[in-house]
Parts: sequence; C-alpha cells; structure tokens
Amino acid sequence: MSRAPPKLTRRQRFEEVLKTTREKLGDYAFFVRRHRPSQIGYTILFALVGIAIFAPFIAPYDPNARVALPMQPPSDQHILGTNDMGQDIFSELIYGTRISLFIGFVAALVGTLLGTAIGIIGGYKGGVVDEALMRITDMWLSMPTLLLTIFLVAVFSRLPRGTIMMAVILAISLTAWPSVARLIRSAVLRVKEEPYIEAARAVGASSTRIMLYHILPNVTPLIVIEVITRTAIAMLTESSLAFLGLGDPTAKSWGMIIHYAMWRNALFLGLWWWFVPPGIMISVAVLSVMLIGLGLEEYLNPRLRR
Amino acid sequence: MGLSGFLLRRTITSIITFFAIIALVFILSRLTGDPLAELENDPRISPETIAAIRAMFGLDKPIHEQFVVYIKNLLRGEMGYSLHYGRPVMTVILEKLPYTLALLIPAITVSNYLAYRAGLEIGWRRGTRADVWSMAVSIFFRSVPYFWLAMLMLYVFSVKLGVTPLFGATSPGMSFSWTWEWFKDYLWHYILPFSVIVMRATLAYLLYVRNAVIDLLGEDFVWVAHAKGMPVDHVKKRYVARNAMLPIVTLLGLRYAFLIDGAILTETVFSYPGTGRLVFEAIYNRDFWLLQGVVVILATSVIIANLIIDIIYAVLDPRVKLR
Repeated sequence: MSRAPPKLTRRQRFEEVLKTTREKLGDYAFFVRRHRPSQIGYTILFALVGIAIFAPFIAPYDPNARVALPMQPPSDQHILGTNDMGQDIFSELIYGTRISLFIGFVAALVGTLLGTAIGIIGGYKGGVVDEALMRITDMWLSMPTLLLTIFLVAVFSRLPRGTIMMAVILAISLTAWPSVARLIRSAVLRVKEEPYIEAARAVGASSTRIMLYHILPNVTPLIVIEVITRTAIAMLTESSLAFLGLGDPTAKSWGMIIHYAMWRNALFLGLWWWFVPPGIMISVAVLSVMLIGLGLEEYLNPRLRR
Repeated sequence: MGLSGFLLRRTITSIITFFAIIALVFILSRLTGDPLAELENDPRISPETIAAIRAMFGLDKPIHEQFVVYIKNLLRGEMGYSLHYGRPVMTVILEKLPYTLALLIPAITVSNYLAYRAGLEIGWRRGTRADVWSMAVSIFFRSVPYFWLAMLMLYVFSVKLGVTPLFGATSPGMSFSWTWEWFKDYLWHYILPFSVIVMRATLAYLLYVRNAVIDLLGEDFVWVAHAKGMPVDHVKKRYVARNAMLPIVTLLGLRYAFLIDGAILTETVFSYPGTGRLVFEAIYNRDFWLLQGVVVILATSVIIANLIIDIIYAVLDPRVKLR
C-alpha cells in the first residue's frame, strides 16, 4: 500500500512554486544571454520603461503647458520644436511613453486573460459549450479588427462615467481575445488527454478545480507569450485609434501626437520633426516587444530552436 | 453530401452570422443610453412632448419589438440619417463604396500574387541569408505603424517631390465621366494609396506563404519526388507551388477583412473619399449612426465575401464538402 503524499501547508506550497519559478527564470536568463534579439528587445524596453517612470525628470517642460510660440522648428531650447499650441514636442514624446506602454500592456493583459478563460472553458468542457464559444470566436475573428475596435470605443466612450482611455483599453482587449482563445483551446485539448487529468477527475476533483490547478499551469507559457505579442499588437492598435482621433487629448499618446500633427497640417507645412519622431518611438517600442516575444517563443517552444 | 447541400448549409450559417452581427450592433448601440435623456433635463420641453417623440420613434416599445423594427428597417436599407451629411446613411455609404472596392479588390489580387511568388522563393530558400533578411525586414515592417508609413509616403512623394497629388480621389472640380481625362486623373490619385495598401498586405502575407512552403517541404510526397530523382525545378513548380496555393484561398476572407482595416487608415491619410474615410469622418463629427451604418455594411460585405470564397474553395477542392 502506498502512502498518501504529505499534505503541504499553504506556505510550503508557495515556497515550492517560488523555487521552481526562480529556477525557470535562471534558465531564461541564461537563454537571453545567448539570444541577441532578446537582448536588444530588453534593452530598448527597459530604457522605455525608465523613460516612462522618470518622465518628469527627463522632460524639460510640462507637456500640457504652452511654453513657447507655436510651430517652432527645433532649437536649443526645444529639441523637437513646438506644436500648434506652443507645447514642447520632446516633452510630449517623453510623457507619451507612459500612455502608450500602459494602454498596450493593460489591454493585452486583459484580452489575453479573457481569451484564456474562454479557451480553457471551451477546450475542457467540450460539447455544446465549446461549439458555441468557438462559433462566436470564429465570427469575431472574421470581422475587420480595427473597424470593430473603433465601433466599440465609440460605444464605450458614450457610456455614463466612462473615460476614453478605459474605452480604448476595453475595446482593444475585447477584440484581442478570439485568437488567444483559439490558441489556448487547442493547447487545452492536448493537455486534457493526459493521465493526470483523468486521475484528478477520478478522485473527484471538480472541473473548476481541474481547470484552475491542472490545466491553467500547463498553458501558462502560452499565456506569457500571448501577453507579450498582444502588447505589441495592442500598442499598434492604440496608435491607430489615437491617430483617428480616439484618444485622450489631455494625456497624449504617441499616436495622438501624430493625430494632431496630421490635422494641424504638419505634413503640408513640412514640419517633419512633429510627426516623424512619435512614429519612430512607436516602431521602436513595438519592435522591442516583438523581439522579446520572438525570444520567449523560441525559449518556451524548443522545437523552434536551431 | 453534395455541392448543393454544402451551399445550403453554408448560406444558412452566413445568414445566422449576419443576424448575430446585427444583434451585436443593436445591443451595443442601445448601450449608449437613452437618446432622449438630454431632452428630459430641458425644462422647456414638457414630458408629454418627450413621450410623443418616444412614441414617434418607437422607443416606448419593448426592446425585442424595437429589434424587429430595427431589422425590418435595415433590410429595407434604412439606417437613419447622418448628422454630418444630413442625408440617409445608406445613400452616403453607397456613394463612397465604389471607391473603396476599386481600391481593395485589385489590392487583394496584386498583393496575393506578390506574396505568393515572393513567399515561395523565400520558403524554398529557407535558412539562407535571403530568408533571414526577408524575415527581419518583414518583422521590422510589422512594428512600424501603418498609417505613419502612409504619412511618410505622402510626405515624400506628394509634399517633397510633388509627383503625386496631396489628397482626394480626383482633382477638385473634376466630376465623373467616362473620359480618358477623368481616368488619367483618377489613376494619378489612385497610385499612392494603392501601393501603400499593397505593400502592407504583401508584407503581412509573405510570412504565411513562407511558412506554408516550409511545411510542404517536410511532407512525404515532396521527399518522394526528390528521392525518385525528379528535377528540382519540377518539384518546386508542380508539387510545392501548387499546394502552397491552398492556404491563399482559405485565408482570402481574412485578408479581405484585414484590408478593410488598411483602407480605413489609408483613406484617412490620403483623404480618399471611400467608406474607410467615412469611418474617420464619423468619429470626427461624432456621427454615431453613420459609423453604425458603415460597420453594418462592411461587416455584411465580409460575410458575403467569405461565403463566395468558401463556395469557390468547395468547387476547387472537393474534400471540403465532406466536412
């Protein structure tokens, strides 16, 4: 007769998780040290996060204050000149880092969690639930994403007490979940057949418990990859929305700066220092996140390793 | 199951999707609150008047009856009035739709062809310097915000070099006629937005084709073809190239939806008077009913496109019908 394994206290279990996490992180750090794209990605991202955190110390001016004559070309006082309101464009750019990174990450996180929940429920429950969820997912996936996002922002920003930033985050996450759900579901379908799931079911674990404690940990690597890649996509979507005018004019993201540049005729006046730098910032930020995602995918999915 | 059975089934799912989308749009539109809420705060308007207005627009009816009325109106092409244009939403959209379709349909064709040819060559040369570099370029371009790229193109070609026009689909004052003059003017305005859309679509699709080709290279029948000494060129053209076409057809519907997103941004940047630009105008003028109309029309066009593509696919590949 075999003895039952000793029951772990909550604290012991936590310590165990902490230990394995630390080991895995060490592994990953070792991987990053040999993976050039990840290194570049992390360097840029850390720099951007630093800029976002220390924005008040880096930016020479308050981005919302009129500090000089409007539409000035770059000068010693204003590295990138001023916009149509006499605000310092360089300072706007620095503060914009906060908005762009924040919206991108939060929207990606919410969308991924939503997609994970739907993917796990559909994949594990199967049958009618799965069929219904996947039909909705497919329908959602077949629609033009940006168009849908725009419509959702328009709806949510009309809700009582809703802010435009919340509307943007909600809309992006609501259009991000379907592809996540598909991916997670197909992973769950594979995990579901493992003997330990059957064992858990045999000892009478509820399906909620199985989904949370046995399936979720198995798809965590996927979730991490998805949050990262979704962040890149969400940042791009946010910039498109802002460019079309769906953003907070008092907390300008990089896309919003381009929006104002575009509709204050920066293009036709030849004020390239107004609309070129924010685009470069978006590209660099998205690229850094994409490179990290590329590395993570390679690290967590060894089949891709050469 | 025969082709007609498949057609019937597929048509029914399309209709269900259509109604699901309509229901979603209806529910979301109602979420925005009572359209008469602002009037209620106005002391000059009596409650009776508000009740009368409510009755006039059918807002006093229960929500499911409102939905039936909504669908009935929709099927008759009534989607309300555009606040900005002061005309029925349907008229405004139908006026702009040809411009967008004339942009999108050639763009799909050209970008598919380019991505297919380039993807085939890159996938065939997987692991080489050419492959690595084109992957790097495609990842780089996927990080660049697309509307910004379009702006740079507009800046360089129209503002700096002056070889392309600054805005619009035709020159101001030019009205439509079946003349060479008009067509030349139209093409001149067409070339830049078209190239930008094609560029984005090609780069985005290149990876799919490349990966499909690489998957095919690992298939048994390709190995067998190589093993029995078939000329390499023959394997490439007859075995790989042909099979790599399948994912192109399957993904055509998604690509149409993807290009609609592209059209929204492109038309906005180039002030091109299509349905995509209408989305921007609706946002700009807070013209909710126009936005809702564009969403319904474009979503419907996606559903129809998907239906047509599936039918073509079923005719091309008889295995599909069995599923």
